[in-house]
Amino acid sequence: MKDYAEPLARLIEELKRLPGIGQKSAQRIAFHLQRVPREEAERLAAAVHEVKDKIRLCSRCNNLTDRDICEFCSDPTRSADVICVVESPFNVVAIEKTREFHGQYHVLHGALSPLQGIGPEQLKIKSLLERLKGGVKELIIATNPNVEGEATAIYLSKLIKPLGVRVTRIAMGIPVGSELDFADEVTMLKAIEGRREI
Amino acid sequence: MRVPVGMPLRESEAIVLRTTRLGEADKIVSLLTRQWGRLRAVAAGARRPKSRWGALFEPMTHLRAWIFERENRDLLRMNSADLIESFFDMQKEYRIQVATNYLGEVTERLLPEREANERAFRLLVAVLKGLKVSGEVNRPLGYFDYWMLKLGGFLPDFERCHNCGRDMGQGAFYGPGSEGLVCRDCKPPAAASPLPKNDLRTMALACSQPLDKWLRTQRVGDSIRVRLFLEEVIRTHAERELVTVGMLKEEG
Repeated sequence: MKDYAEPLARLIEELKRLPGIGQKSAQRIAFHLQRVPREEAERLAAAVHEVKDKIRLCSRCNNLTDRDICEFCSDPTRSADVICVVESPFNVVAIEKTREFHGQYHVLHGALSPLQGIGPEQLKIKSLLERLKGGVKELIIATNPNVEGEATAIYLSKLIKPLGVRVTRIAMGIPVGSELDFADEVTMLKAIEGRREI
Repeated sequence: MRVPVGMPLRESEAIVLRTTRLGEADKIVSLLTRQWGRLRAVAAGARRPKSRWGALFEPMTHLRAWIFERENRDLLRMNSADLIESFFDMQKEYRIQVATNYLGEVTERLLPEREANERAFRLLVAVLKGLKVSGEVNRPLGYFDYWMLKLGGFLPDFERCHNCGRDMGQGAFYGPGSEGLVCRDCKPPAAASPLPKNDLRTMALACSQPLDKWLRTQRVGDSIRVRLFLEEVIRTHAERELVTVGMLKEEG
């Protein structure tokens, strides 16, 4: 005998495919969806459909958008002289939260990771080089502070510096609000290397 | 430290082979340990910005790890770790990153889980140090390939034909899927150009000494051709395409 009716079992199976959702969470969500009014469940289904139908990559920066050119690239108040390079659209959100960056973005959709078969060809580097022909003055590389992100940053800087564009890298070091005692040796070393005069 | 009943604690030196994301903030760390062989363990909270683990679980970090084993669970749990040596900075160079990823991939493919192999551990540490000191890829990887095959009992004979057992003369051949070198008479149709016997002898001689000693000497012979052959043998024994091999070739 099956544990659940077929449609419910199928919903649980589909929910389990989502990141961070295990068997228990999938069961909870499936039972919740079964209980809520039909309109609420249909709103969720329609939202999923809409994302699949309308969301695409910005033709300039590769960020996720529902238009041809995303809101960051089409905003006339943002400087086109400075481009911040990030690995994923999530990272754009993280930088936007600071409200201190007023340039444009370029999303690589990954970082160099040979074990996952990701080399330079798999990243959105060609379109970045095209954008640099438009008189960009500075490129801020904000890839993750790990081996893959660092290798990507160095690879890009070697490619772009000869074009006469200033290439900078976001700082690495001790998180604000933590304590030096808990920093590991590599992080501490990076913090000392990246020190600045005050 | 109190060890809970039924949860034996293991302490060992280890090299991080690779990490994968788990849930919101955790990592699964694939390790080659000195005492227990290849293991996989969960490092809870390793992806949080204020994580106490910091940069410890970047690929190829040499550390001392304290690991709990839980009954009926495949994955172990990392309790604590101390850094012994970081190889973070050298991997900024893409070709070195490709090389270290190759080391990790071959180690994961050729060494079975939970089978102690201290010599393989020492080899990996020596090769990482060689890459760090020299910045060179070819000789450290050639040394790694040679010894990984030798430790696994797969190293082909450099003197006699794998097929007919006769002396190979001055030139030896191999092709895709080769397990060994063959003579001119047994040469497969898709064979590459011959490997000069002198190169094979030079490689065997070079690999009979510690890697750091070899790296201090001038290059003699063309070890890259022998390395490519050894890579082919490793691919054959891995029984699966190695993702990093193609990338190594692209990087020269």
